[in-house]
Amino acid sequence: MRYDVTCKQAGLSALFDLKGPQADLWGWAGDHLPPMPARPNSLTRRGGRSLYHIGPRHLLLRTGIAEEEALERALGPAAAPPQISIVRISDTLTFFAVTGRDADQVMAIACPLDLHPAVFGADAVSHTEAFGLKAMVLRCEGGFECAVEQSHGDMMQDYLNRALT
Amino acid sequence: MLLIPCPFCGPRNESEFAHGGPVRARRPDPDAVSDAAWVEYLTVTPNPQGPVQEHWWHVRGCGTWLTLWRDTTSHDIVKGPDDA
Ligand SMILES: [Zn+2]
Repeated sequence: MRYDVTCKQAGLSALFDLKGPQADLWGWAGDHLPPMPARPNSLTRRGGRSLYHIGPRHLLLRTGIAEEEALERALGPAAAPPQISIVRISDTLTFFAVTGRDADQVMAIACPLDLHPAVFGADAVSHTEAFGLKAMVLRCEGGFECAVEQSHGDMMQDYLNRALT
Repeated sequence: MLLIPCPFCGPRNESEFAHGGPVRARRPDPDAVSDAAWVEYLTVTPNPQGPVQEHWWHVRGCGTWLTLWRDTTSHDIVKGPDDA
């Protein structure tokens, strides 16, 4: 059978890995961040930026690649206090958009997470695995986004092609 | 397959975790224990028939290290992490 799904590799996003106590992160960079996500493995958005709460004291800030340099200057990672860490990681992840009527079916092949909307809602984001690779999964318009380590991008594309046929 | 309760993520598939081995006794002072007890600490891994306390790492999830009790005869998790 063929799935009604489109898989597209996305271009680069600007990504910043943020670690440390919430109060210290907000004290240093709060003006540049969307609000703190209320729950583990959820996200918030503001002004084109999104903030993913992906681990204890661990967040990922994402925005368009055109904003990368200005945002890095604003975040000032080199001068940040020692109890927090801000690292630009835009080049380390490759994002795929899996969209279409059967997107959830293909993701069910890839991933052991329960992605039913009642469990994995519009604001959900989590690290899990996709075809055995460490991956970050979230929802997007019409389906899911799935990010893997950049060097696994071609392998992920290959897995997706095989799952679709 | 185990469904492992992660304090941050909730119940997750075993395949997202790496096994970190059994929880060991604290390292004794080698000068304060007998040679037999020191060799026992160095070389004998806890391997009971029944509940064993183990470390697991949510390596493909949120990165949390957790400890739980797993029964080696039934493979059931008989006690999850205290904060899960
Ligand atoms: Zn976790």
